[in-house]
Amino acid sequence: MNDDYLWDKSGPPDPEIKQLEEILGTLRYQPKPFEVPAPRRRSYFPLLAIAATLLIALLAGGIWLRVRTRDQVPQQQAAVPEKTPIIAPAVEEKTTPTPKPQKRLAPREQNVAVYHKRRNTPPALTQHDREEALAVKQQLMFALRLASEKLNLAHRKTQSMSPANQIKNQHRVG
Amino acid sequence: MKSIFHINIIRTPLIALLVIIGTGFMARAQDSRIQLASLDHLAAKANQTVDVAIDERLIRIAAKVFSDEKTDEKEIKQLLTGLKGIYVKSFEFETEGQYAAADLESIRSQLRGPGWSRMVGVNSKKEGNLEVYLLLNGETIGGLAVLHSDDKELTVVNIVGPVDLQKLAKLEGQLGIPDLEIEPAKPKTKNDEK
Repeated sequence: MNDDYLWDKSGPPDPEIKQLEEILGTLRYQPKPFEVPAPRRRSYFPLLAIAATLLIALLAGGIWLRVRTRDQVPQQQAAVPEKTPIIAPAVEEKTTPTPKPQKRLAPREQNVAVYHKRRNTPPALTQHDREEALAVKQQLMFALRLASEKLNLAHRKTQSMSPANQIKNQHRVG
Repeated sequence: MKSIFHINIIRTPLIALLVIIGTGFMARAQDSRIQLASLDHLAAKANQTVDVAIDERLIRIAAKVFSDEKTDEKEIKQLLTGLKGIYVKSFEFETEGQYAAADLESIRSQLRGPGWSRMVGVNSKKEGNLEVYLLLNGETIGGLAVLHSDDKELTVVNIVGPVDLQKLAKLEGQLGIPDLEIEPAKPKTKNDEK
């Protein structure tokens, strides 16, 4: 038997070898381009998701901060329109429902009067805001008073229980 | 492999979100607000209930109507500066024993948390138990809690934020509002001393 076929594929092949070749041929190395991008592409998704989450959190934080600071903006703007002849604030309407004699004043004097009144009243509050603020003010004062009362009670109690007072009281009894 | 990858896509941002939310809650946990909702059920039994919940936004709104020219209102306005909330729950009952020790414990347990210090604890047969707690951030006061329990009364006051205790103590009897009928310290008689 000639083994040349095994060495350099010359000569007649053995049928058994030919059969083996056919079977194993399917597993033969087939050159392909190197494919790395598939796993790499996958690894970007979690990062993108984290970035998106952080972005959403930052946006939410920004919106929250903006909402929180919205109340401070009118205070800054309030000083600007003071010199302009604007309708008197809602507070004055509430306190003086009767026709105002000030209407007879000259426009300039009227403006000065309004200016002085506006200086004494908190500006830039609508009727609704003012009502809300007054309601909160009452609750606030009640709560503070209650806290104050309890603190003073605690203070008085601790004072009356202090050893110095006991000695003083004992002295009085004696 | 695909399922693991799928879980990661969901899990990773979820963890990130939880971390962010958790950080937020941790930051909130540092403030001195105590949860008073556990006392809400007492409102049904109470003869009189006071429930005040004023957050930072409402404090700022209310501060606008405090006058800068009236001394007492100016003082209150200064006192309000920096405050983040004032919360009060007060219940007055017709009969004794309407609230349980567990109700008080639900508040006290929060006041055992980090930062809180019990400054005053007074036990009196006549005026019940009075406890004053302060949340101390270093040398500054970050919050105040007062717990007053009587046979027929339960009051919790919680002030969140830096409180000036001296200014707060001065408020009693100011602003034309009548005192809340707490008896002043009476000079002791001989019978009392015995």
